Parts: sequence; C-alpha cells; structure tokens
Amino acid sequence: MQDLITSTINTFDVRAQYPDSDAMNKLEEYFRSGDLRAKASLAISANAKSIITKAVAKSLMYTDITAPGGNMYTCRRYAACIRDLEYFLRYATYAMLAGDPSILDERILNGLRETYNSLGVPIGGTIRAVQAMKDVTADLVGADAGKEMGVYFDYICSGLS
Amino acid sequence: MSMVAELILNADSEARYLGPKEIHIFQDFLKTGEQRMRIARFLAENESRIVQNGTNKFWERCPVTPSNSGVERKTNSCMRDQGWYVRLIAYSIMAGSEKPLEEIGTIGIKEMYNSLEIPIRNIAECMQCLKEEAVSMMNEEDAAEVAPYFDFIIQSLS
Repeated sequence: MQDLITSTINTFDVRAQYPDSDAMNKLEEYFRSGDLRAKASLAISANAKSIITKAVAKSLMYTDITAPGGNMYTCRRYAACIRDLEYFLRYATYAMLAGDPSILDERILNGLRETYNSLGVPIGGTIRAVQAMKDVTADLVGADAGKEMGVYFDYICSGLS
Repeated sequence: MSMVAELILNADSEARYLGPKEIHIFQDFLKTGEQRMRIARFLAENESRIVQNGTNKFWERCPVTPSNSGVERKTNSCMRDQGWYVRLIAYSIMAGSEKPLEEIGTIGIKEMYNSLEIPIRNIAECMQCLKEEAVSMMNEEDAAEVAPYFDFIIQSLS
C-alpha cells in the first residue's frame, strides 16, 4: 500500500526529482491534519457497529433487498452484507489515515465488481449503503473529518460502478 | 514504506482498527512533519553545494579514485550519484523511515558498484564526506535527524 508520503516519493523518484512545491504543500497540509485524522479514526473504531446498523437502516432495510427473494434475505446473506460493509468502513478509515486510496484498490476493489456480479449482489444497493455510511460517519466525526472520509467512500462507489 | 503505512498494515494483519497506542504514534509522527519537511527542503535547496564540497573533501582524502581520474564522464556520474543519495535521504526524512532509502538505494548497492568496478571503500569515504558537509550546514537538531541516514548508507557498504 501507499500513503500520501510514499506515493509522493514514488511519483518524484521516477523523475529523479524532489517533490515540487504543490506536492510539498499537500504533504504539509497532511502533517497538520494529524489530530483530525487520529480523532476520526478513534471515533469510527469505537462506533463501527452502530455506524453499520444506522447505514443499513437508512439504505437497505425494508427494501426488496431484505425481503424474501432479495439478496440480503436469509441471515447468512444478511451477515455477509454486514461483514462487507464493516470491511469497507475499516479500509476507508485506513485510507483516510494514509491520505491515499491505494489500500482500497489492493484490499477491496480489485475484482470486487466481478465477484458481486457473479454472486448476484446488487451494485446499486451496495452503493446506496456506502453512501449512507458516508452520511452516518460524517454525523459522527464532524464536517471536516467527514469530508475526508467521504473521499474514500466515494472512491469505493466509483470503483464499484 | 513510511511509518504510517507500517502502522496500518500491522493493524490490517489483525483485521482491526488502529489501537490508542498506534494512534498516538501516528499523531506524534505527523506532528514532527513540519521539522522533517524543513530538512527535506534544505537538502533539496543545498544539494549541489553539499555534493560539490563533499566531492572536494573526498578527493583530498582519497585522490586516487575513478571520479578524480580526469575522465569527465566518471566525475559526472559520481557527483550525480551523490546528488541522488542526498535526494533519497530527503525522501527518507519525509517518510520518517529508512525504507525509501533502502528500497531505492541500498539493496544491491555493493553488487552494483562492484560490477561498475568502483572501489566500495572509496564510495563509503565519499558518503562520509557528504555527511560531514551536510551536517556542517545544519543546526544540531536537524543534523541529528540527517546523520543516521548517511550512516545507514555507509553501513550498507561495509
């Protein structure tokens, strides 16, 4: 995986250059945002279960997906859905700490759409759930950290669609 | 890899969020970012001076060496490599870890210079001169941050 520091280094190393002033400013901004990111990670890890519960309630519950014949019907499939959402939340939190989305590609997104399609998991419903997680998380961590987390939730959605 | 990536991969290997202690380490690391960026900037701005002075010192101590043989291409390659090592050290200071330096510039360093028929002891002496020059331009605190990375290169040559 990369974080903002290593992705900057890798970008400039292939050109045998020092990071330019744009890249240096971005890094400095990242270093200044340490407390914000740290607090958000602690809040999310303490509330991960309830974030998922609320996000599912907002997006998937009482829809065709959870009704008989839907892809979340049967406890086993419901549990699998919850587990995947937990993964999304944890990896989005890692990416937020890193300031870089590469870990999402490596651990979540590569091949996910194909897997979901072959399992019949609806992409639209998944995206609705991730967007709901984004809203619930922003309510919990506040606007600034919520915006940063939003970048990575959106990254998951665009990787799925 | 930087310290941030190390913390995350460690937590991920146990499928958990970062714990309070790891979050403290993360916060402390980012707090020192400003100092580390300042040092990286300093190295970037002064690279050519460090390399020029370092080279002069190196030739004083070690006059019989390929870069001092009057072959311009060899002199240029030597000074280019020195500049690259200063840059890799700047990367490592930004990352707070010797990993970038190691991954880009020290794994295989002995094999490479051996194959180029450049005496390893001379390279080590050259890095020592580079270190002395860089450190002499800095205050004590910044010098203490930079010196270990030069030492890391010298150790990888021994």
